[in-house]
Amino acid sequence: MSKNLSYLSGRKGLDFNLFEELGIAAKATGTPDPVEMERLRNEFLFGSANVYGTVSFYDFLKKENEGKELFVCNGSACLTAGTQSSLKDKISSLLPAEKVGEMCCLGRCHENSAFHYQGRNYSGDAINQIRDILDNKAAVKDSYQTGHIGTPVLTAPYSEVASYYQILKNCLTRSPEELLDELKKSGLRGRGGAGFPIAFKLASCKEAPSDVRFIVCNADEGDPGAYSDRYIMEERPHALLMGMMIAGYITGAAWGVLYIRAEYPESIRIMEEAIHHLNDTGLLGQNILGSSFSFRFKIIKAQGAYICGEETALLSSIEGQRPEVRVRPPYPTQQGLFNKPTVVNNVETLACIPYIMQYGGDNYANIGTEKSKGTKLISLDGHFRKPGIYEVDMGTPLSEVIYGLGGGFKSNIKAMHIGGPLGGLVPVHKIKDLTVDFESFAQNGFLLGHASVVCIPEEFPMMEYIRHLFQFTAHESCGKCFPCRLGSTRGFEMFDKALNDSYRIDRNLLMDLLETMEIGSLCALGGGLPLPIKNALTYFEDEIKAYFQ
Amino acid sequence: MTDNKIPVAYINDKPYAIEQGDTILKLIKRNLGKNLVPTLCDAPNLEPFGSCRVCSVDVALTKGGQVKTQASCHTPVMPGSYIYTDTERIKKLRKNIIELVLTDHPLDCLTCEVNNNCELQTVAAQVGIRKVRYPEGKTHLDRQKDLSHPYMTMDLSKCINCYRCVRACDEVQGEFVLSMSGRGFDSRIIKGNDVSFFESDCVSCGACAQACPTSAISDVFESKSVVADKKVRTVCTYCGVGCNLEVAVVNNEVKSIQAPYDAAVNQGHTCLKGRFAFSFYNHPDRIRTPLIRKNGELTPASWDEAYSFIAEKLTAIKKEYGPDAIAGISSARCTNEENYLMQKFIRAVIGTNNIDCCARVCHSPTALGMQRTFGTGAATNSIEDIKHTDCILVIGANPTDGHPVTGAKLKQFAMKGKTTIVVDPRRIELAKYATYHLQLRPGTNVALLNMMLYYIMTEGLEDKDFISRRTEGYESFKSHVLSQNIDELEEITGVPKELVKKAAIAYATAPNAMSFHGLGVTEHSQGTFTVMLIADLAMITGNIGRPGVGVNPLRGQNNVQGAADMGCQPHQGAGYLNAYDPEINRQYEAFYGTKIPLGKGYKIPEMFEASINGKLKALWLMGEDVVQTDPNTQKVIKAMENLDLLVVQELFLTETAKYATVILPGASFLEKSGTYTNGERRIQKVQKVVEPLPGTRPDGQIICDIMNVMGFNQGDYEPGKILQEIAQIVPFFAGVTWENLGTNGKQWPVKPDGTDTKILHTETFKIGKGKFHHFDFEESKELVQHAKEYPYIITTNRELEHYNAGTMTRRTRNVQILKEDVLLIHPEDAARHFIQDGDMVCVESPRGKVDIKARLTDEVKPGVLSSTFHFPEVMLNMITSDVHDSEAMCPEYKVVAVNIRKSKGKYKG
Ligand SMILES: Cc1cc2nc3c(=O)[nH]c(=O)nc-3n(C[C@H](O)[C@H](O)[C@H](O)COP(=O)(O)O)c2cc1C
Ligand code: SF4
Ligand code: SF4
Ligand code: SF4
Ligand code: SF4
Ligand code: FES
Repeated sequence: MSKNLSYLSGRKGLDFNLFEELGIAAKATGTPDPVEMERLRNEFLFGSANVYGTVSFYDFLKKENEGKELFVCNGSACLTAGTQSSLKDKISSLLPAEKVGEMCCLGRCHENSAFHYQGRNYSGDAINQIRDILDNKAAVKDSYQTGHIGTPVLTAPYSEVASYYQILKNCLTRSPEELLDELKKSGLRGRGGAGFPIAFKLASCKEAPSDVRFIVCNADEGDPGAYSDRYIMEERPHALLMGMMIAGYITGAAWGVLYIRAEYPESIRIMEEAIHHLNDTGLLGQNILGSSFSFRFKIIKAQGAYICGEETALLSSIEGQRPEVRVRPPYPTQQGLFNKPTVVNNVETLACIPYIMQYGGDNYANIGTEKSKGTKLISLDGHFRKPGIYEVDMGTPLSEVIYGLGGGFKSNIKAMHIGGPLGGLVPVHKIKDLTVDFESFAQNGFLLGHASVVCIPEEFPMMEYIRHLFQFTAHESCGKCFPCRLGSTRGFEMFDKALNDSYRIDRNLLMDLLETMEIGSLCALGGGLPLPIKNALTYFEDEIKAYFQ
Repeated sequence: MTDNKIPVAYINDKPYAIEQGDTILKLIKRNLGKNLVPTLCDAPNLEPFGSCRVCSVDVALTKGGQVKTQASCHTPVMPGSYIYTDTERIKKLRKNIIELVLTDHPLDCLTCEVNNNCELQTVAAQVGIRKVRYPEGKTHLDRQKDLSHPYMTMDLSKCINCYRCVRACDEVQGEFVLSMSGRGFDSRIIKGNDVSFFESDCVSCGACAQACPTSAISDVFESKSVVADKKVRTVCTYCGVGCNLEVAVVNNEVKSIQAPYDAAVNQGHTCLKGRFAFSFYNHPDRIRTPLIRKNGELTPASWDEAYSFIAEKLTAIKKEYGPDAIAGISSARCTNEENYLMQKFIRAVIGTNNIDCCARVCHSPTALGMQRTFGTGAATNSIEDIKHTDCILVIGANPTDGHPVTGAKLKQFAMKGKTTIVVDPRRIELAKYATYHLQLRPGTNVALLNMMLYYIMTEGLEDKDFISRRTEGYESFKSHVLSQNIDELEEITGVPKELVKKAAIAYATAPNAMSFHGLGVTEHSQGTFTVMLIADLAMITGNIGRPGVGVNPLRGQNNVQGAADMGCQPHQGAGYLNAYDPEINRQYEAFYGTKIPLGKGYKIPEMFEASINGKLKALWLMGEDVVQTDPNTQKVIKAMENLDLLVVQELFLTETAKYATVILPGASFLEKSGTYTNGERRIQKVQKVVEPLPGTRPDGQIICDIMNVMGFNQGDYEPGKILQEIAQIVPFFAGVTWENLGTNGKQWPVKPDGTDTKILHTETFKIGKGKFHHFDFEESKELVQHAKEYPYIITTNRELEHYNAGTMTRRTRNVQILKEDVLLIHPEDAARHFIQDGDMVCVESPRGKVDIKARLTDEVKPGVLSSTFHFPEVMLNMITSDVHDSEAMCPEYKVVAVNIRKSKGKYKG
């Protein structure tokens, strides 16, 4: 990341955004035209190499994406569901291979067989209508279960928009400090994975000296198997928008940026409509509801890179730089977007704020456990009898989610990968030991993360799953730090060789590699991958030992 | 127990005091040296990046507490924490990382360019790596080399993806030539749109090559790997920035040059001239024997022969026409000691004040103007003040080409969006990043500065306190400025007054504002006045006498400051003492123990006139190519031809040397010692790197020789001894000795106890109070007389790759990067004359005409043309005028009335 480029990109503000322009330039063919790239780099005073480097980073901008029209999901849930090879067969009879690409997790983990065609996602039995889909004649279907145990903070439906925003109106009559206090009392911790208390973040941003600040919503929900952020954006968009506005009011930020992954076209559309609606009803812009508070939104559509979910990479991405993870300090709250103080929070975190403002921080703090307050959304994949998005109070036994809300497994499952690719591999016999909160998972050697659940069927080889995780990391590694850039590829090769030829893995070497990545990596992608692999080594030793020396 | 007021952290259980902003690595390096903890992606002049992770250490927040592995280079030290640099876990981690690196690195160290000088190799040895255990996998060993560039080389099979090159190009040079492409394992360094070095926008500064820890990016001189007999620290011979260089020598031959990181001036950076353009020094074209013109031919002669020939001639001329028929032009490219000797020779041995130097044609107005306003004709502040300022005004300078290392610092400033005001007729590189670009018509600086002053006054933004305490003459100055017709000035300059107003307010309201100016200020008929108005601007806003403010001329040549300091101008002797003052004359006479002239001497243009009029009979030129560089070439040639004796000390047979009676082969900066004084008054040591080429002598030695031959006992050229003499006569050198100049020199004035001065005028001015002077805009005579028939204005400028007449840079591979002078012309003007990009254009002025290749660009406004005079093929000075600055007689290179038409062939004057 370059401070200079952050400043230069910042000169144009958010109304004219380099990254967005590159996306627009790529629309026609799948990759931006070099002449257009050169024009943009001159306009933004970037080097040709910077723009070229940016474009070449993203799955949906790079040269290799040229001409791709249909994208097949290659996420973990669709992989373990085993639906994708027959899907590809059906598609290959209608579209030449060079028009078919891949996307990593469309958030259709509840029914799998997922693919994307011209700005729309399809899954389940949609493939049977593939001819209509290619003719743009098919309707988009998307249905999954929802439910809750305990207090429905996020899943409770809200009233019509105008009266829902009464919460904001009340907030604007109180001082930002008072509201910050409410948040402190609530004990709300980040839902994007790290569990950092949001009130600290807002306070630090508020205190950083600057005339410009940003609230950035991390809606890059990259974990294959997770679709709870998608649920919020598509079903509760105003909880999120209002949450961001209140965060803006607290910190003194006048801009909210939603960084939404390209794999969620529907979410982008719905958020756009919601913002339009707010504009039309005078709830955005200058002096909102007659107060001194002004706020605007900007949606940035991502372009296919898991690492952009990491907050500093995400900021570089918005700036049109290569989304390589930045060192901290400086923290984003000190020098974030365009080097200005910036708050980055997950969708689910921000969407909790209206509830807290409506019912008070103490009320919220009463939900959940001592250290994990509030509720958590959980995504269940297609191996469950009742796949969907469920909200539970923190501390709810995992078994109640799996057997109660989820209705149990459809088939024989040996483990669940919970919390995304960097989360733990939970063997089914551990279900009884876990409750849904940060501490329970950590103490048992797993990770709650974003609380997505991907099942691994009995017959799915663990060796292949480990290879898949290395491959995922190798593909998504930003390439900045040595342990992850090199280690993920070498790890993949070890497992690939063990599966495909007579090579037997040197256990010491593997343990060295895992430790190198775990303690040596700059961010939690390289640093997090060893967890599920170590879990696999612990719980599935018998299944895989034949591949070791 | 340690004192609990000073925060400490424990490294391997021993306490060390923490300083503000310490990372763990900084703390370790400061206390335990740079080798305790290995690093690969860290570099002295780059921000922490955290990619290699071999700098990892274990850290516990309390004694015996839980340890966490952290990369030391970017992790701040927590007070009271316990840092362990070599635990088993850490040792293993480092080894395992390097093992991974070696899975994708050629294992052919023995044949590698940087063998024994490779950071990867060093770290691998340090962590004790023995073998690579991974099964064979994907590698990038088959990547093609890029050898397209005259200087830069690339072999990405050696790349370890540490990004040091990318960051150097960004954070140091500010060029963005390099980036990574792709992602993950396949990420790869690219230049531009993945083009070759040669096709890219690379400015060949070499920062990336110096930063690269392996040979993945290097240069054709293999600077990083050279196993040198010795490495000598010296100072660049090109521009007034004064970069320090570290020259590697093998067998008395210069192999390569790198930039020392501890250099106060350039902190590990240079431009391509300093780093790469040294091979002129032993070029076959070097003159290796004295030459005397016999029967019209320059014929080799011995030194003794040449000296006695000259001595006889000079004595005869002196006898017949008097000493004032002889003149000398000294060289701002030579050392202080040599310049000092040259003026001493002319004054004490010949007996005339006919001594001048090339400061005449560049910054004489600066010296004069600033002397009149402040009492001292030199930069008030230092380059490092860029770090402390809030606003920078760059007027009439193009530092990214002319003063590249300072230019890079200014660009870094501007890129960050800090207030930058550029006043220039061209949209120079800095203007692209500036907050305000006031693109005025050439020659209208005085009008524009009046506008700025006017708005500062009408907005009430003067620093009244400073004005009353430190200055005089403000009231009449103010009423003069306020009486200006602002709309008329707007019309004259062609810059919208609202824009000028905004810029003026920005300058005046910045807590600290600093100005830089160059030849776009001085090389005008109102050059001295412009300098004084810039000084006025600083005074009315109180921007004098503290860090981050002041008036800072970007001195052109490496030692133009020094040449003037040493007395190479007719009216002022060494130390700027008034040469026409009988009192001071007695002082000089006592010091030199001989008669010193009191009569007025000629300035350079007057010398030419005098020669043409038959009054001047002999001219001694030390390293000056007046034919190519002075304006109105025809006239200069006539002056040369009219002389009875023209002695030229030179490295090469320049355009001027072709007219010489005697040529004395001098030595280059690499072959002699002495001192140069850079643009921020820093006296720095030039140290002999190699012996002079056989047959050549240091210019200082030549002057000493001739003084001795002519009967003045001067002894040999010993810089240390001469510096001692200088310190006795030049007041502001009082405390300077060869020894105490140390590595980074001293900024004058240097007190007798050796303390130097970063910032001038902190308490008072040399002349007591600063003096306001007002000047009205006056159109250049050149335009008044000729604008009707010659409606275009051509303004001259410089390109990064070449230095002035190009005598040296044209004899290096720099010509492969820039081969010719071109004419910058606005597309509208070009269209009017049916000129296309690349066409030859005949540019005609009242003096003559030249043919130049057109380059269409909107960098210049319609009606304005621009070009360089680096190449004798074009001889641009055929057309420049001999209109001069009214005060300092600096020629007006920047405003020449011309006409243009498309031409077919070449017109040779
Ligand atoms: C490799 C990686 C991927 C991540 N992906 C996401 C993501 O998709 N969504 C998200 O909200 N946070 C993600 N994070 C976490 C963010 O860096 C950051 O902690 C989060 O956005 C902060 O918001 P929160 O405090 O509300 O959780 C990711 C982190 C890493 C290291
Ligand atoms: S761990 Fe991987 S993704 Fe994270 S910074 Fe390092 S290379 Fe990039
Ligand atoms: S030589 Fe200088 S300009 Fe060229 S790529 Fe290297 S750092 Fe950049
Ligand atoms: S070229 Fe050199 S400096 Fe650049 S990334 Fe590769 S090894 Fe590092
Ligand atoms: S900036 Fe000037 S002094 Fe420095 S290397 Fe370049 S020419 Fe030499
Ligand atoms: S030196 Fe710290 S990570 Fe490379």
